[in-house]
Amino acid sequence: MTKRVRTWWGEKFLDVLNVIMDSGRLRRGRAYAGPRRLLEFRIAGDTVIAKVRGNVNPYFGVYKEPRYRVEVKLRRFSAKDWSRITAEIGGNAACLSQLLMNEMPTAIEGVLAEQDIHLLPGSRSDIISKCSCPDYASPCKHVAGVYHRIASQLDRDPFLLFQLRGLDFTELQGRLKASPLGKALGERFGADQPAIAIQPHRYTEPERKPVPKGSLKSFWQGSGTLPPVEPEGSGGTVPAILIRRGGDFPAFWDRDMPLNEAMEPVYKRIVDGNKASL
Amino acid sequence: MLHGSWLPGEGADFNNPGTFVLWLETSDAGGSKSGKGIHPHHVSDPGRFGEYLSSKLLLGKALISELDPEPVQFHAILPTADSLPLPSLELAQFSGDHLPDGHDLEPWKIRGMAIGRPLPLLKELQFIVGLGRPEIRIGTGLRFWIRYSLQLRNLVRRHQFLPVMKCVRAGAGASDPRIVAGWAPASGIYEEGLQDFADAMPVVCTALRRSRPRAGTVATAGCLDPVELLRHFSEQQLEALVSGARFSIAAMKRLEDSWLIDAAGLGSPEQEADHAIGGRISAERWKQWHHWHTEILGRSREAGFVLGIRLDEAGRDREDRWRLDFFVASGEDPSLTIDLEQWWALPDDGRELWLKRFGRRFESSLLVNLGHAARICPLLWQGMGSAGPTGLTIDHETAYNFLKNDALVLESAGFRIVLPSWWTPEGRRRARLRMVASGKSATGSVASKGTGTFNLPSLVEFRYELSIGGEPVSEDEWRDLVNAKSPLVHFRGEWMELDHQQMDQMLEIWRQQDQGYNQSTIEGLLKQIGEADDEFEEFVFDDVLDGILKGLRQIEDTRPVDDPPGLNGCLRPYQRKGLSWLATQEALGLNPCLADDMGLGKTIQVIALLLHERAGNEPGTGANGPPTLLIAPTSVLSNWLREVERFAPGLKCMIHHGSDRAADPDEFGKSIAAKDIVITSFTIARKDCGLLRGERWRRIVVDEAQNIKNPKSALAKAVRSLDAPSRIAMTGTPIENRLMDMWSLFSFLNPGLLGTSAQFSRAYEKPIQRDGNQQRLQQLQRLVRPFILRRLKTDRSIIGDLPEKLEQKVYCSLTREQASLYQAVVDDVQDQLGESEGMQRKGLILSTLMRLKQICNHPAQFLHDGSDFSESRSHKLTRVNAMIEEALSESDSLLLFTQFTEVGTQLERLFRERHGCPVHYLHGGTSRRRRDRMIETFQDPDSPAGIFILSLKAGGVGITLTRANHVFHFDRWWNPAVENQATDRAYRIGQRKTVFAHKMVTLGTVEERIDEMIEGKTALAANIIGTDEGWVTEMDNAAFQELIQLNRSAIMES
Repeated sequence: MTKRVRTWWGEKFLDVLNVIMDSGRLRRGRAYAGPRRLLEFRIAGDTVIAKVRGNVNPYFGVYKEPRYRVEVKLRRFSAKDWSRITAEIGGNAACLSQLLMNEMPTAIEGVLAEQDIHLLPGSRSDIISKCSCPDYASPCKHVAGVYHRIASQLDRDPFLLFQLRGLDFTELQGRLKASPLGKALGERFGADQPAIAIQPHRYTEPERKPVPKGSLKSFWQGSGTLPPVEPEGSGGTVPAILIRRGGDFPAFWDRDMPLNEAMEPVYKRIVDGNKASL
Repeated sequence: MLHGSWLPGEGADFNNPGTFVLWLETSDAGGSKSGKGIHPHHVSDPGRFGEYLSSKLLLGKALISELDPEPVQFHAILPTADSLPLPSLELAQFSGDHLPDGHDLEPWKIRGMAIGRPLPLLKELQFIVGLGRPEIRIGTGLRFWIRYSLQLRNLVRRHQFLPVMKCVRAGAGASDPRIVAGWAPASGIYEEGLQDFADAMPVVCTALRRSRPRAGTVATAGCLDPVELLRHFSEQQLEALVSGARFSIAAMKRLEDSWLIDAAGLGSPEQEADHAIGGRISAERWKQWHHWHTEILGRSREAGFVLGIRLDEAGRDREDRWRLDFFVASGEDPSLTIDLEQWWALPDDGRELWLKRFGRRFESSLLVNLGHAARICPLLWQGMGSAGPTGLTIDHETAYNFLKNDALVLESAGFRIVLPSWWTPEGRRRARLRMVASGKSATGSVASKGTGTFNLPSLVEFRYELSIGGEPVSEDEWRDLVNAKSPLVHFRGEWMELDHQQMDQMLEIWRQQDQGYNQSTIEGLLKQIGEADDEFEEFVFDDVLDGILKGLRQIEDTRPVDDPPGLNGCLRPYQRKGLSWLATQEALGLNPCLADDMGLGKTIQVIALLLHERAGNEPGTGANGPPTLLIAPTSVLSNWLREVERFAPGLKCMIHHGSDRAADPDEFGKSIAAKDIVITSFTIARKDCGLLRGERWRRIVVDEAQNIKNPKSALAKAVRSLDAPSRIAMTGTPIENRLMDMWSLFSFLNPGLLGTSAQFSRAYEKPIQRDGNQQRLQQLQRLVRPFILRRLKTDRSIIGDLPEKLEQKVYCSLTREQASLYQAVVDDVQDQLGESEGMQRKGLILSTLMRLKQICNHPAQFLHDGSDFSESRSHKLTRVNAMIEEALSESDSLLLFTQFTEVGTQLERLFRERHGCPVHYLHGGTSRRRRDRMIETFQDPDSPAGIFILSLKAGGVGITLTRANHVFHFDRWWNPAVENQATDRAYRIGQRKTVFAHKMVTLGTVEERIDEMIEGKTALAANIIGTDEGWVTEMDNAAFQELIQLNRSAIMES
């Protein structure tokens, strides 16, 4: 079975299901996270609302394919807890930096655990769910399916966790403003989204300019000396180094393998496959 | 002259691929079709073009086949005067054309050759340019692209590029723009390089275009923006590399369903087809990519700072207290830095000043930068747990790992890394095996510090020691270090890195050495020093050995010896040092190469060496040892003979040359028995190899040793096969340029020093010439330097020893053809002389003199039959050409005087072909305006070194040609005052170098006798000699016949 999540926080988010569900329902539940079963999935404020396609089951007297309505919420933090949480984040450069890079701060759990606050759900009381199916057990497999889907959404958008816990992005930003570095986070996301820039040509088209005035010498030989270039073969390199700098899972990268692992063979091949040119 | 530049695409189409165009400029109407607007001086025929590339540039077939088969037509906006394009500056400098002061710019139609993927070609051209062959003429514009392509290759090899998305304008009917995948070079290094290269780009690189410019737009829009031109070139070349890479299926599989598969599959049919993912890249994806892309590169540059990380060392007893400190450096002025620790402590108004440099969003950019650094080196997260991160404390092992790995990775990702000085290559202390060596003379006693060459050590005694940072270390200490847990140890007050495995090896070698001392020859020692790996070995010498090795490497440290007895003349101080150096080399059993600049007197130093040895300074080599064999080009044999006679009349010298030379071994043995020097030519050395091999020689001297540079030639093999206790090579052209030439020279001098040719090629030639490996180059230089003495006229230590003007005679002989022509003229005159009188007799005498001088110059000049003006027919011409080549190779310019207009014209043509340098010719028919231009061009310090030919009559007075420091007198004039006045064209105010005047004298002919008269050696008093030849007609018949008669012993067969 393929991994449904690829980040540590996505995984941790799912871990709670092991605690609160029996393994059969959990296993069956995964099937409900796919688009064939999950007919509708939306997030309204702190609530996730979904519509799930159920199974025909004559044993229970269900002959027509049923549709179940599922609602999932997380336990909200109190205003006092939020103050503590945002104070911790605002006072921790690592946390802010990771949030800026659209990652769940690695240190966040540890930092808050000292105050007995767990941002990621860890017990039954953290999850509030409803399902219109006849199953007596709660959470049922439909809830598990929706929960899986939330986890994969969270993978891409760690801020969703704050929203589901009752603090949306605007509020979070407002609270973080209190600390100097926290303000930086707001600035970052407040930056204008760029409009798509049309490129008239595949390669930069050189603009036409007047011929520079000058002597025959500058026409044929230029006016300065050529810049020095390092001799060939000097200095080593780390494969796909710029890709590494951009992080494991950029927003456009949907696969489970970190981007730099996927790109390393490409970079290496571009260099190794062009011996005559390089 | 080969030109080339990048020609970008034109037109409104999204696809705008460019092509690299090459075009070949000629100095004459080079076979291109004439017509309105067509550049009249270029090669437009693809066949001729290809032939030029293969025969002149020696480009391989594979590379030439990369060129588009059809020629490409384009327009170049070029400097134009009188409705003709001016030749390029480079071509004008070579051909001696004179460019007008003003010019216009006009478009000219040119046909050239195109190549879409020029990187392999430019790489090969870089190699060719690096060889520095003078016949290769490549314009500066093309050289610019050669250099820039090296920059681009470096960027690609260091993975400084990223996949990109490009939005294509929506076609008619479609609403959304189409987004396609591609690649672009990225990083700060790329951007800075663009700017630097654009500043240095010759205008001609930007002046090519595909379509003919509309009238009136040339001045306003004739050029392309240089930065954008470089971008266009770089972007297309990078994508070409990607599309040529062929990725494995596994690699492609990893990118499935992502837009990156389009980027990787660039150029493949799938990518071009509609079902490519590319057609479906959404605007949302573009935004995601755009954000990612700007985060990786844009921000920190835009923000104006670079994040830095500094490793601060722990104290000796606090091994686990290493620190990594964060700091920020200004992007504009990298020396301006502030530690984050200080930053957080600053009051608001204190920060203002910094923020002006770092940018308004400094703190948010800083957070992202810290995050990026921590992504690459997760250790750094630990330093970011507070609101004001400053750095972190790390333990010993982590510190070592940071030094070893993380630092490099972070640096190549664009962060500034500062490491302790003891880690840098310069500051690093190393554990090494130390060779302690001392000199030992053959008799067994350790050599003392003496002055003469006779008590030099012939052997070297050595033993090994263990050392760290240049200090000896005991075995116990060494063992302790080898057993240390970490490779990073604190030893005698400072941290250092140890390679335990290597130290183990060293210990092993050290323990294996014999008790007491080992022995080696000096040559063996020099080889070991040359090849030593700095990481592994170091050397310590006793005073005697140290002095010797310094003297070999640095001539300044050589103690000069006195002039040897029997020398008719006086050595200059630097020549005494040269003599001492040569004698030392021989005494040490080494075989040297004397490579002083032309004019410094290599010949006299070698002659002095023979006298020095004869004087008995060397025990065991008395006056009656076997002779020295000297091998030289035919054209200099008689010059050698003359020089020996002049400087060392006591040395017995013979020439072994010509068809009447001794052929029988016994006869030959007898003829050389009492001789000190036997001189022979390369030709005879090859032909008579067996004969020469049968004799014992004191030493073998090869003059103009570049003649044996082809190791496979029969000549080189023959010369190598001759055996003698010592060998000397003499050459005036630098031998370092072609490495295989150098190998060949050393295979004659010190075989074994550079290994077999295959070993040498593998170890040095390929790494140095193909890959530009500097380390190998240095190693090679270290190996050969002790054996080569090369001093330049311009060396400070030499200049003081040289007079401002130095005159020398260059003696040469007649070839057989010249001799028979000469004799015929002499015989003819003899008959006529008795029968003529008065004006007729005068005329006969004058015309005879002229004809004989013509023959001495070249048979073709005398015959007037349009026959080949070739070197093989005149030793004088051969010699002049060889000397000119030497002078030009030292970047010296020269003047050449002749009294014959027609030979001047022929020399001009020959020199231009042969030497590929600017050649000017000033004679009676040259207009005043043209003369002034020639002088100006020749004197221009920016033009390449060149040749200025002057007719003695036209060029005698009034002009200054101080650029030249060699003056050749191709034929002789009766009056030394006239010749000296000519020499003084170069020897004038403004001349900073020594002027060398070379007077060519053909032995056994009227030229030699004129020379003797001028020198006052004959009975004719100087006052008889007038300024012209008129007085000769006053001679009686017998005297005249004596003047012109041919001394047949001076003929030299080629």
